[in-house]
Amino acid sequence: MGAQSRIGFAIVALGVAVATNSCENKHEAELNAPAAASKLGASATVRDLMKARGLNEADVEAALKTYVPSGKMDEYYIFASGGQSGNIDVIGVPSMRLLKVIGVFTPESWQGWGYGGESEKILEAGNQGNHKIRWADVHHPNLSETNGDYDGQFLFVNDKANARVAVVDLSDFTTKQIVPNQLEAADHGGAFVTPNTDYIVETSQYPAPLGRAYAPLSQYKDKYRGVAMFWHFDRKKGRIDPATSWAIELPPYTQDLADAGKLDSDGWAFINSFNTEMATGGTLEGKPPIESGASQNDMDYLHVINWRKAEQLVAAGKAKIINGIRVLTMDVTGPEQVLSLVGEPKSPHGCDVTPDGKQIVVGGKLDTHTTLYDFAKLKKAIDDKNYEGKDAYGLPILPFKDVINGQVEIGLGPLHTVFGANGDAYTSVFIESTVAKWSYKDLKKPVEKLKVQYNIGHILSAEGDTVSPDGKYVVAMNKMSMDRFLPVGPLFPQNFQLIDISGDKMRLLYDAPIGNAEPHYAQMIKADKLKPLQVYPFGTVATTGQLDPNRVEGGKERIVHNGNKVEVFMTLIRSHFTPDQIEVNEGDDVTIHLTSLETAEDQTHGFTIDMYNVNVSMEPGKHENISFKADMPGVFPFYCTEFCSALHLEMTGYLLVKPKGT
Amino acid sequence: MPAHDDGHVHLGVATEKPAWDWARWLVVALGLGGAALFVLAFFHTWWGFWLYAPQYPGGLRLNIGLTGMSGDVKEIDLLNHYIGMSHLEDAAPVERRIAGYGVAAIAVVSVGLLVASGRRLNKLVAIPAFAFPTIFLADSFYWLYSFGHRLNPRAPLKIGTFTPQLFGNGKIGQFETFATPSLGFWLAIAGVACIVAAALVRSRVCAHCSRAGTCAVACPRMMVLPERKEASS
Repeated sequence: MGAQSRIGFAIVALGVAVATNSCENKHEAELNAPAAASKLGASATVRDLMKARGLNEADVEAALKTYVPSGKMDEYYIFASGGQSGNIDVIGVPSMRLLKVIGVFTPESWQGWGYGGESEKILEAGNQGNHKIRWADVHHPNLSETNGDYDGQFLFVNDKANARVAVVDLSDFTTKQIVPNQLEAADHGGAFVTPNTDYIVETSQYPAPLGRAYAPLSQYKDKYRGVAMFWHFDRKKGRIDPATSWAIELPPYTQDLADAGKLDSDGWAFINSFNTEMATGGTLEGKPPIESGASQNDMDYLHVINWRKAEQLVAAGKAKIINGIRVLTMDVTGPEQVLSLVGEPKSPHGCDVTPDGKQIVVGGKLDTHTTLYDFAKLKKAIDDKNYEGKDAYGLPILPFKDVINGQVEIGLGPLHTVFGANGDAYTSVFIESTVAKWSYKDLKKPVEKLKVQYNIGHILSAEGDTVSPDGKYVVAMNKMSMDRFLPVGPLFPQNFQLIDISGDKMRLLYDAPIGNAEPHYAQMIKADKLKPLQVYPFGTVATTGQLDPNRVEGGKERIVHNGNKVEVFMTLIRSHFTPDQIEVNEGDDVTIHLTSLETAEDQTHGFTIDMYNVNVSMEPGKHENISFKADMPGVFPFYCTEFCSALHLEMTGYLLVKPKGT
Repeated sequence: MPAHDDGHVHLGVATEKPAWDWARWLVVALGLGGAALFVLAFFHTWWGFWLYAPQYPGGLRLNIGLTGMSGDVKEIDLLNHYIGMSHLEDAAPVERRIAGYGVAAIAVVSVGLLVASGRRLNKLVAIPAFAFPTIFLADSFYWLYSFGHRLNPRAPLKIGTFTPQLFGNGKIGQFETFATPSLGFWLAIAGVACIVAAALVRSRVCAHCSRAGTCAVACPRMMVLPERKEASS
């Protein structure tokens, strides 16, 4: 067969394929209806478009389910961990459009987050020891809850690398607080909220001597510890109150994910662990690496915590103060049954409480099952002191077989489980790159598996970890995207895949590349639960939510020199700064009190002073206090950094720093 | 009817009311109603302006009252500074200060004329009421014209002089404008209608009045006072 005839064969085959395809497509006639065609313009019918773009009917259906035309809004918000970016990504569903990146732990230039304004105070408060920390490994965003349902008021998120938790207020999508954990060396099981957001749980990951103490690795078993931090949240103030927070000491088993109980299991918390072997590596000395040392035991321990009781014990003065924090140590928590252990199959990962609060689903990771613990059975075993034994730290170990409802064979590498309506559970299966749909009510094998691209880590669903999941959508948060997007070099985007779960079968709808970091967990909340501000009340400092005493009214602008201190009371409004000339001497301490007089929605300005690393975003009504030392003499223009109006480029002025001795 | 000792009923001449005499109270009621509507109008917005531009999908609103304005005044001022227009709050300072007295005076004078004017002043009864909305319209037009024709020559944007549309659709720069009377204006118009109605009823009353043709500047009965007794049974 010559080359020509082969091409001919291929064309015939293609023709047959097209013909077959059009016979199968029952809906195509409808799609091709004159009404639909006429709206698309004379030259392009839907069928022509499908052909031209190589789309099949399923593609068109997916497009219709995800397309949000101009002027229409998405139905849900996703708040996604920004991973190594240290921030939070806000994404609309079903369009999967990026709506905003919220500056949290990391300087974010658009919002002027960490460039000389009030946000510096938030970032400074997040320093650890004498180290200025300006990056974060953001892991698990959690929305505030009321009675186990998202209330749309706050978002909490942890930084694994530096053991910190941040509070974001959803009334203006601004970070209000970063609290550094003074006990932990790294965290992971956070930031999980209790059903009424009384506490934000932050569990350590890699054990270390508590409170930044030093001990050699040879003393690992005696001196290294894990810890479950219970940050107390003052909802009225919208801030974590470290003074009323407390912690529970944990054995050095390398705790992993955690979840708070709800409804039946309210008052309890559950935490995984994956290194009960207490391996510490030592590869240069010929010992096995941690990855192998930590994977020897067939069972690790699920930690079962009665936090309500712990709270009482702390109030009764049973805690020990470590680095200023009240810690319930194991000599109290074991005998008081605040902390119990129960076996869980091999190096698990996800730990998720079912919507009814009756079961805890643990993903096997190195085991092919999810294991379902029955809370009532756990409680009974604890009440009956039905122990299989005690661990080296005197903690009771509950008998595995007595407290589980069963195990579900999921596949290779089950990680996290989220929930739909009617008892549906969706587990991410990492090694297989699938989403497994099963039922936590009948505990049978998965009814369906959907391939995802590729290496799914976390998974999320619409209001999926509340007491009333919505169903509708699941998002697979894939670590790899390989062949899914245009190539952008060796560092590939992550892939968020939106999956429709409203029908009997899961349907993949949309691939959204995440090109700013590797997100971990995310949560999805109904859009109508959020009513964010559009304009700040005049003179508001965004990070505190308070009116600033130095806010500047129009007509009251001035410059006050007091020795080597200069205070500038400045306003801005389209299209000018008042004052627009500032003269200081080299070495002066300069503070600019800057207020936006704007009142119109979306009329944002920016303010930067060239070469001084000063950059703030000035939304309508916002106030900023900017301090710097005028240590570099010269002439420095300042200007508005948002294209605010037709005279934006004219919105400028000069900072003149007179050299010493002139 | 009074019954006398003799059992006969005597009809007193003085008690026989002329035609339309009943309507004297109607004149007073309509007059007071009109005055009340004027007072009510004083507390409401008289004119509304809407300004639409792409970056203001919800539009900007300006409400004009007799003593001041409300709505997106700051934002409109802010935009106006680009073309060198004065602050809206600088418009009609005298008018706004005296508006309260003016409304009170018009209400009092209207009711006063309805009740007290005699043959010589009869024709003037409704004039103050008519003047009320008319002066407002004329003054508004004057200020719109004045604002549009006295633009600051140092303004960043130079546009030609213009008069913003007082009624209906107009266009200024990227803005589509729409202007229309508001509740206050319509209340005033209703007030005028009351006064006019009162004046018409009054002319009927006067035509049938026993003093018809004999009164001069003032109404001898002040519309509703009892007729002085001149004849008896």
